[in-house]
Amino acid sequence: MGFSELSIILGGPQGSGLETSMLALSRALAYRGYGILADREYYSNIVGRHSYIHMSVSSKRIPRSLTYPVKLLISMDAETVFTHFRDVEDGGILVYDKDTRIKKIAEIPSMEDSLKSRLIRDLKTLGIGEDLESITEMLRSRGIVTIGTSFQVILKDLMKIYGIDPRSLSRYVSGIVTSSASLLLGLDREALRYGFESVFSGRPKLVEQNMFIADVVWRELRSYEGLLKLEDSEIDFDELLVATGNDVVAIAKIVSGLRYQSYYPITPAADESFFLEKYEVSELDGSVIGPVVVVQTEDEIAAINSAIGAALAGARSATATSGPGFDLMVEGLSWAGMNEVPVVITYYQRGGPSTGLPTRGSQSDLLSSVFAAHGEFAKVVISSGDHLDAFYDTILAFNIAEKYQLPVIHLLDKFLANSTSTIPLPDLDNVKIERGLKPVPPGEYKRFNLETLVSPRAPLGTPGIIMWYTGDEHDEHGHISEDPDSRVRMYSKRIEKLKLVDEEIPGDLKLRVHGDGGGDFCLIGWGSVKGAALDALGEIVRRSNLRGVYIDVKMLWPFPRRELAEVIRRSGFEKIIAVEHSYGVNIADLAAMAAGIRIGKRIAKFTGRPITLGELTQALEKVLTSDIEYVVISYGE
Amino acid sequence: MESKGVSYKSSVWVDWCPGCGNFGILTAVLKAFAELKLDPSETVIVSGIGCSGKLPHFVNVNGVHTLHGRAIPFAMGIKLANPELTVVVHGGDGDLLGIGAGHFVALGRRNLDIVVALHNNGVYGLTKGQASPTLPLDTKTKALPKPNIQQAINPIALAIASGYTFVARGYAFEGEHLKNIIIEAIKHKGAAFIDILQPCVTFNDIFTSEYYGKRVYRLEKDQSWDPVVRDPGERVPKMLKAIERSMEWSERIPIGVFYVDNTISTFEERLSSRLKVYPEINPANSSIMTEESKSVIDNAKFKKIFGDLIVSVSKRTQGRSPQ
Repeated sequence: MGFSELSIILGGPQGSGLETSMLALSRALAYRGYGILADREYYSNIVGRHSYIHMSVSSKRIPRSLTYPVKLLISMDAETVFTHFRDVEDGGILVYDKDTRIKKIAEIPSMEDSLKSRLIRDLKTLGIGEDLESITEMLRSRGIVTIGTSFQVILKDLMKIYGIDPRSLSRYVSGIVTSSASLLLGLDREALRYGFESVFSGRPKLVEQNMFIADVVWRELRSYEGLLKLEDSEIDFDELLVATGNDVVAIAKIVSGLRYQSYYPITPAADESFFLEKYEVSELDGSVIGPVVVVQTEDEIAAINSAIGAALAGARSATATSGPGFDLMVEGLSWAGMNEVPVVITYYQRGGPSTGLPTRGSQSDLLSSVFAAHGEFAKVVISSGDHLDAFYDTILAFNIAEKYQLPVIHLLDKFLANSTSTIPLPDLDNVKIERGLKPVPPGEYKRFNLETLVSPRAPLGTPGIIMWYTGDEHDEHGHISEDPDSRVRMYSKRIEKLKLVDEEIPGDLKLRVHGDGGGDFCLIGWGSVKGAALDALGEIVRRSNLRGVYIDVKMLWPFPRRELAEVIRRSGFEKIIAVEHSYGVNIADLAAMAAGIRIGKRIAKFTGRPITLGELTQALEKVLTSDIEYVVISYGE
Repeated sequence: MESKGVSYKSSVWVDWCPGCGNFGILTAVLKAFAELKLDPSETVIVSGIGCSGKLPHFVNVNGVHTLHGRAIPFAMGIKLANPELTVVVHGGDGDLLGIGAGHFVALGRRNLDIVVALHNNGVYGLTKGQASPTLPLDTKTKALPKPNIQQAINPIALAIASGYTFVARGYAFEGEHLKNIIIEAIKHKGAAFIDILQPCVTFNDIFTSEYYGKRVYRLEKDQSWDPVVRDPGERVPKMLKAIERSMEWSERIPIGVFYVDNTISTFEERLSSRLKVYPEINPANSSIMTEESKSVIDNAKFKKIFGDLIVSVSKRTQGRSPQ
């Protein structure tokens, strides 16, 4: 007997190796066939502020959602215990550094005053002291096993044997976190070694040192071994990709034939470009794959415009950014629309407006992307609900961009960008590359030939032909023209291409209905609410016997109005609820505008933290069983 | 495209004001292209917004008329994707040194092999004569209601400080001289900058052809003027000399080549050292798909390329440490 699914929080100061811990643990779990989903929450800070990993682990499936309360909290520091002790399930486990037991909430300089006063107020109400020892005592009274161990003692021998400078000892705390999690979950040391080997690839000394820590942890905490033992995995995959959303999109870009990527550093998009640089060219069996020219530009304006330039020269071209950067790109987006340029903007949303919550997630840029840029022209906006979707959608973005010669915005967010998942390997036998390039005969070439909605496209540099582009209204050759007759034809052509997209893209790529079709309600959303939404459908049946479906709107523009209307008409849902990481739950307004569908209820979250299963289920129950139309959820620090 | 006997002049009517310095620039461009026998299909003129922005439409080579200030980023994307192309940027002073100043500086840092031709007339012509970044402080042209209260940028000094490795000045109405500079700039490997003094007949009544006609002189007339850095040790003294000369702006205004540095790697070379296969295999000519419309990366290649991220699952009964 063991656990088939559980949630974990690993917490510590930013810059303390928490991500390394998470990655080593994820790899070790994947090695034994478990599915994981790990969200990374952090401040806009390099060193010192509180960060944590919120992780779902399963032996039955690849987890789709994050849940509270957690079974296990492992704290690198006292701040983690203070911040998350309320998240631990009764009967759960806390691992902490017992040398910090006298710490008080008020003494934590990195903790925000508002959280301090909230915590102190709550503890006062319960009659509990605001020091770590009082809190652990209270936790024990709730049946939580508190494992206080001295990190210094664990690292003492390591320091001696390897001659480590005491000042750099904190770098090894991550090893304690990974090892104690492995021990509690019943992972064996071979799996753990695999985890360390894959994160410290090429640095055998670090592997050895971390395994030394593991041995000490196994000795010190042996009585707790397997306390949260996972059942053997039933997940049927021989291989799993362990990657973040940023990684997956970058991989898909390479698979799709990306050849130019520009970027200006911004959270949470920059990691994607870093990844691309790492894999920019491969030589396999004598053939070259690539190269991807990755350029860090001077700003986002140069990023989009150089990407457009590369597309004009025939390269599959993209840029990756977040809200502030996208705002700067918008004039270029309009030029791309005017000149029918296939370019992809990978847009990882974060909390706005302005700098907002730069390291936290949101879906608040839906309307900003759909309606971005002056003038009217065809552009396509698509979204992805999870890592695997993001892989295929990235390829779709390029195919649509090239086939219809227009800019495509792939709208993602920080939640997906920074969360790590175990992902089944994509099947490339079923992936098609569609470029829409037709050979152009030498001679007079009209780049904007009006005979068809999508004109034959030849790259700059095509032998024997020349072409012109201009942001001004233009004639078929691409020369400036203000003639009203030409204007009407050219302007309409650029807009009406969108009808082709609407007609030709299969419905399944525009909108997906999850659930058995019938039921009491329909939940509608897009992007990274998918996992929590799907799991909430199951939960709410169990808890309240309410049945519903989730409609994942994948293509946000052109809005799948026919498809959505059809689903709703067919099922006769009376209750339609929209959910989104925003204040407005703007998908409801977009559906009303584009499809004339009135969505009466909305569930919103805009704390910058991801929607978790429990809070969504409760919010759903609330809107389904009352007249309440708008629920704001906010769980998580 | 067959370049012999090609007319580089397009059939589009040139709608600049009669007497505009741009006519001189256009003529020099056409002559330079003809003399270099550039293949029109392998040549791209990229422009920004304003009077200079229209230039590509008047030339029978590929033309990309972009956004205000952004010609350089567009040109960079084109050139990096297809390094075989000859890419020439034309922009005004407001365009390249005002709204697009960041890109102007960044191109110098990259030393990418493209030419930037600055149509320097001191005003924003197409919006009726506002002061541009090259109009000196206190100058009052006839279009300005009051004298200019912003200082002028020195384009030559800025280009040198930014890292351009070919920096020159021409004058729109010294056609032959300007043509030769354009030719040298195109031949130069690396970022080349030409500051072209251009009278605006409609809005700038100070920097007129009479004004320049009296003042411009050719640097190369001075036998001792040698702007070329052949050894990195010469870089600083020649740079300083060029910058010093660029400050000369009164009774005499120098035109000609101020600075050439052939000892600095081009962006293409830097990419080549990273990517190995570049520029021979580049974004424009590398294949991305098979004849069956599949990615060149199949399932087997996928596993090889991204093997670092793939975990081979090794299930076993838990809790038993392997011995």
